[in-house]
Amino acid sequence: MEYRDYYKTLGIERAASADEIKKVYRRLARKYHPDVSKEPNAEEKFKEVQEAYEVLKDPEKRAAYDQLGPGMQSGQEFRPPPDWASGFEFRGRPRRRSSPETDAQFSDFFSSLFGERGGFAEAEGFTHSGRDHHARVDIDLEEAYRGGTRMLELRRPQQKSDGTIELVTHQVKVAIPAGITDGQQLRLAGQGEPGHGGQPGDLYLEMHIRPHELYQLDGRDVTVTLPIAPWEAALGASLTVPTLGGPVQMRIPEQSRAGQKLRLRGRGLPGEPPGDEYLQLSIVLPPADSPKARAFYEQMRRELPFDPRANLGS
Amino acid sequence: MSSSSSSETHVFSDGEWVSVTQVCRATQIDVAVVVELADLGLVSPRGTVPDEWQLPARELARVRTAARLMRDLGVNGSGAALAVELLEARRELEARLRVLERYMRAGVGPG
Repeated sequence: MEYRDYYKTLGIERAASADEIKKVYRRLARKYHPDVSKEPNAEEKFKEVQEAYEVLKDPEKRAAYDQLGPGMQSGQEFRPPPDWASGFEFRGRPRRRSSPETDAQFSDFFSSLFGERGGFAEAEGFTHSGRDHHARVDIDLEEAYRGGTRMLELRRPQQKSDGTIELVTHQVKVAIPAGITDGQQLRLAGQGEPGHGGQPGDLYLEMHIRPHELYQLDGRDVTVTLPIAPWEAALGASLTVPTLGGPVQMRIPEQSRAGQKLRLRGRGLPGEPPGDEYLQLSIVLPPADSPKARAFYEQMRRELPFDPRANLGS
Repeated sequence: MSSSSSSETHVFSDGEWVSVTQVCRATQIDVAVVVELADLGLVSPRGTVPDEWQLPARELARVRTAARLMRDLGVNGSGAALAVELLEARRELEARLRVLERYMRAGVGPG
């Protein structure tokens, strides 16, 4: 596995004080917190910062980590020394359970030194129920409309026959019902943390629907911007418009205006009741890029008594 | 090494209520924190005593985000509630901005 330079992750000197470490962590955590941040790779960066802080904030863990040597570089091939952490009290002490959502997400480097495989194994005979886990699932609008199944890959600790713990990839098949909405929660019974002589926890999934290039989603309703020509707006027209279920014919009434919304009942996401589709009209002017087109505009100017600025009151 | 399984899936519906015990388990927080968030108006429980409260299922995400901010950033309940409300407002504005941008683009035409 690769060595991780936790000081470099936080951008601090090896001699940094506990106070300084806390200050830098708070600043970076706020910058990269996945609930708040707009930074690219925020989640990954946040995990790295948290992992570094988890070690450096604890004087014992920090001292043990420092023992590994200041000469190591990030990314350098690394094996924990056989007598790792033998002089430290944390060996054999029940592991303090850290933030549940990041628990299984720290690096192999971290878990080999401070995880259940390292010196922080849980005390024998301790039983508990597994905790609930939480994951965010991003799906496309089409998937929310039709429903479908997803294979999720989760990493969770598992005990091997020789008693050591390793992180295994666990696949869970999730049935996504048709008509799921943005932010809706799903619970998968027993798919959270395995229990230790107790019940396993549940897995909560928070569904997020990615922004769609055509449809704007609001609950179960969708809105599409529908570009139309001036004569279609003025005279009315029968058009083919996109819906989640496929194209449908609809009538644009005469004297339609830009920005006006027309409703297609029940063409949004399925549900009880299903959502609607709104078509917001946007009038697009033909370019005056040929003598013929220019002649048409000239004729309109002459023959249509029209003042677009009648309401400006000048 | 890998394994796979499927299990019973429960979909929380819009009008569903969840017990405070379940909320606390799912978000790894203490009832006292839920009480604090309720005092701040971030969640709207029903029931008489906190131990028997129920919360709207759609507020699970709010509690979870608030709990994470409190744990990871060291902010207190008021700070977390404020952040959650601002984040929701930001999300709403971003959605409205996307509609407007799309509308402007369509009006101006391609290119």
